[in-house]
Amino acid sequence: MGDSLLQVRHLSKSFGSHEVLKDIDFTVDTGEVICIIGSSGSGKSTLLRCINFLEQPTKGEILYHGKNAETEWKRTLYHSKVGMVFQSFNLFSNHNVMENCVLGQMQVLKIKRAEAEKRAIQYLEKVGMAAYRKARPAQLSGGQKQRVAIARALCMEPEILLFDEPTSALDPEMVGEVLSVMQDLASGGMTMLIVTHEMSFARDVASRVLFMDGGVILEDSKPSDLFTAPKMPRTQEFLKRVLSRQL
Amino acid sequence: MDRFALLWADIVKLWTKYGASYLNGMGNTLVLALVGTVLGCLIGLICGVLNTIPYSRKDNVVKRFFLKLIRVVIRVYVEVFRGTPMVLQAVFFYYGLPYFTNNAVKFTSIWLVSIVVVSINTGAYMAESVRGGIISIDKGQTEGATAIGMTHWQSMVHVILPQAVRNIIPQIGNNFIINVKDTSVMFIIGFPEFFSAHRAAVGASYLYFPSATVEMVGYLTMTLISSFLLRWVERKMDGSSNYELVQEDQLTLTAGTYTHPDRGTPFDETSKEFEKGKGEN
Ligand SMILES: Nc1ncnc2c1ncn2[C@@H]1O[C@H](COP(=O)(O)OP(=O)(O)OP(=O)(O)O)[C@@H](O)[C@H]1O
Ligand SMILES: [Mg+2]
Repeated sequence: MGDSLLQVRHLSKSFGSHEVLKDIDFTVDTGEVICIIGSSGSGKSTLLRCINFLEQPTKGEILYHGKNAETEWKRTLYHSKVGMVFQSFNLFSNHNVMENCVLGQMQVLKIKRAEAEKRAIQYLEKVGMAAYRKARPAQLSGGQKQRVAIARALCMEPEILLFDEPTSALDPEMVGEVLSVMQDLASGGMTMLIVTHEMSFARDVASRVLFMDGGVILEDSKPSDLFTAPKMPRTQEFLKRVLSRQL
Repeated sequence: MDRFALLWADIVKLWTKYGASYLNGMGNTLVLALVGTVLGCLIGLICGVLNTIPYSRKDNVVKRFFLKLIRVVIRVYVEVFRGTPMVLQAVFFYYGLPYFTNNAVKFTSIWLVSIVVVSINTGAYMAESVRGGIISIDKGQTEGATAIGMTHWQSMVHVILPQAVRNIIPQIGNNFIINVKDTSVMFIIGFPEFFSAHRAAVGASYLYFPSATVEMVGYLTMTLISSFLLRWVERKMDGSSNYELVQEDQLTLTAGTYTHPDRGTPFDETSKEFEKGKGEN
């Protein structure tokens, strides 16, 4: 794999006296697809939200291209490079699909409208939503919304995409269309950090899987190892519980 | 029945003599209510936005102090102007200013002072509505904007405020209708609105009740038309409930479809596509 793109160093996060993340340490290399799994409340969302500063980390630092993301990167530039896809889509409900995709380009990257629309169409086509460019978010199904949200993130041409349970709010029959888009991205070389409960996806698409439990990363290994021979008892227990349901 | 005939005759008598003055009053009332509501909304918008600038413990002391100060000032403004009658506010502005400043500061235009009073009054109500409108917008909207690098102001202008304003349109309309009626107190400082036309007509004709009837019907007509127009604006703002698919790229509709893992997918070891996929990687 390539150079280390993102380094999380001794990251801790507390809400009041509740320590949700405890000294998290890991590195993401360019081109890696990392899935984060773990039971509810283990701090997966909080980790992603700290990485792009939707939550302020209590301790530790995040290095992006080796430079401190908090002090050495302009926050808006960092945000445009580190994209995020949310469980609840968070599309701008006052704008149609096209406007959702061009707004950030025009406001943040200062790209002219014509250019921005061209780029938007390109990414909307990639997720199979170009035909819906005039629709408003409220007029789309969950799967369609999430595909638009992915296109919106891609329009900023990020170097890494964070996904927080992108399929958890979807009806089962829509999960596949979103996973398939993500798989396309992965095989296209996009660096991704994905919190997911879709174990088959993690097993088949990820290059690395992190297992989180109680605010720490308990296990960090290749999916073939983690799913077939988990080292930690907690991981074994979690996988047994989840896989019996899913596979 | 003859009572009604009499009333009608009196109204006709009033209208032939004072019709122009009634109409002029209605015109002035509508202009004052409209300008006051628009300016009041602007004041409310500014207050609401200033009131919701986020700050955290990490911000420096000066910034935090100013933001807190702004919130206190707005709070005081809202409480004072919402908590006192507009008729007294008009008196304070029109007679109070020259009284306190020994005639150095005074309003020379009755229109200006009326507009100022109605705007400030409406602003006090709207400040709260706008603040409520802003904080009621799902946090995900702001997070979506932040996550693509938009600043607080950019997301305010392009994402949050349009939605907040849309949500408070009914309250703006409500305020406008209240202003149409409540500007009637401006006769106290001699503003020539609809109700002052009544006072003038009654003073000369003693036809008190018929003139009041004219006023009632006049106010109701103005407010009903306003209600109707406001509904229409609301519907316009919501846009079409339909959208058209952009035809030329129908083909792409089939791209990116994929079945759920539970039902056999490219990721299943048993599927041929899985083997193929593995080969590619
Ligand atoms: N804003 C907050 N304030 C206080 N506590 C919070 C906040 N956000 C998260 N927490 C707490 O942090 C812990 C971890 O939450 P987090 O959302 O990161 O878990 P998760 O691993 O994403 O779980 P899930 O799989 O259910 O999404 C939980 O105990 C939660 O209650
Ligand atoms: Mg979560």
